[in-house]
Amino acid sequence: MSWLFAPVPRGRIAVFRAVVYVFAAADLVIFTPWVRSHGSVDTELYRPLWVARVLHLPAPSSLLVTSIFWALLVFALLAATGKAPRFLGWMVFLLYFEWMIIAMSYGKVDHDRFAFLVALAVLPTCGVARWRDRELDARAGWALRVVQLAVVATYFLASWAKLRFGGPEWMTGSVLARAILRRGTDLADLIAPVPGLLIAAQIGIMAFELLSPLIFVLAWRWQRWAVAYFYSFHLVTISMITISFAPHLVAMLSFLPLEKAADWVARRLPSREPSVAGSGLPVLLGEVAGHRIEAGEGAAEGAGAGGH
Amino acid sequence: METTISARGRAVRLAATLIAGVLLLAGTLWGSDDHFPFGPFLMYAGVNPPNEPAPDPRIEGTTLDGVVIQLGEKQTGLRRAEVEGQQESFVKEPSRLQEVVDAYNRRNPQGPTLSEIRYVMREHEIKTSRPTGKWHDEILATWKVPR
Repeated sequence: MSWLFAPVPRGRIAVFRAVVYVFAAADLVIFTPWVRSHGSVDTELYRPLWVARVLHLPAPSSLLVTSIFWALLVFALLAATGKAPRFLGWMVFLLYFEWMIIAMSYGKVDHDRFAFLVALAVLPTCGVARWRDRELDARAGWALRVVQLAVVATYFLASWAKLRFGGPEWMTGSVLARAILRRGTDLADLIAPVPGLLIAAQIGIMAFELLSPLIFVLAWRWQRWAVAYFYSFHLVTISMITISFAPHLVAMLSFLPLEKAADWVARRLPSREPSVAGSGLPVLLGEVAGHRIEAGEGAAEGAGAGGH
Repeated sequence: METTISARGRAVRLAATLIAGVLLLAGTLWGSDDHFPFGPFLMYAGVNPPNEPAPDPRIEGTTLDGVVIQLGEKQTGLRRAEVEGQQESFVKEPSRLQEVVDAYNRRNPQGPTLSEIRYVMREHEIKTSRPTGKWHDEILATWKVPR
């Protein structure tokens, strides 16, 4: 139980939050811009997901899609500043979830964003967090832990789905050859004809996904190598069949000591108030960072939602 | 100094974790894509035997001038997988391809007018889990665009 709530420095959640919300905005315009085009697609092609039917969500009209696009863009960028984390966080979660329902209700569901949705769902529960705040916080610990669990569940349960739908013969089938023929890069076309290689890769993928939960029992020294391996797996996937899994990659940052990134940035930016130790970080994404919190000051709680 | 969570806060978080976990597990065991976000992680989970050809469908149109154009995501706003997901209904009822024509017209009001639209399946040959480089095309559905 204490494992689920193991506290982490609050700065970690502050950096994670900024990256997640910036990505949510970038996702709208860069990574999945096709969602917007569903507003101009005939509603005949709309195949609402179960959740959309249960909640009686309206069929996406041009007006609805455009409204959600702009509202989500504005709220995500505001949330990235770290202000009003509860209100803005829940708004972004609800809007992004509806955005995904619109995205996946046309006959094709993507599987690259479960952990990202979990991140959006838990970030509002963490309260105010500043970039260089090193105070340990169990709320931040739980939030990051469940995102980690969602990341690993994506791998582990993907192998389960392969066994359920494809069976063990999935490993000796032609799923990679098929993927490469349909969307392979020149690099993939080059290596696909090598005898046995794609079968070996399929066995490797199954083994990796089944073993992925072991990351939780590794010491940090080895855990970071496992995370590096996870990222390299996706690097290969991108270079072969151009599947990016970008939202999942963002969620995977939950494994890293991100608060060190805040220090790294602070060291490289010119100090505005060199006489006061630890307050040299200029405004980052609107967040006045580097406010050193003394024990007992209670600044994080006292600041309240959105205040300084 | 450390921020802790109240007993109630812990209980709520624990319950949320367990409920989401159970839903995800149930989705993986019995669910389908329809249950997003708790459906099974089906990326590349299909059964593809070692010598099964790879289907590579596309929608193409012929303009009034007789030019053949591709009707991909850029032209219609529909992703290939989405088009593929509706393949059966296009084949059963070719008039439904008119929806794709309409989507094309909405996005390209100044573009060339289509006289015909086709759902074409290209099958790439695969032997012992490796592509052979051979393929053939088959037209699965044709729809003459009413003037």
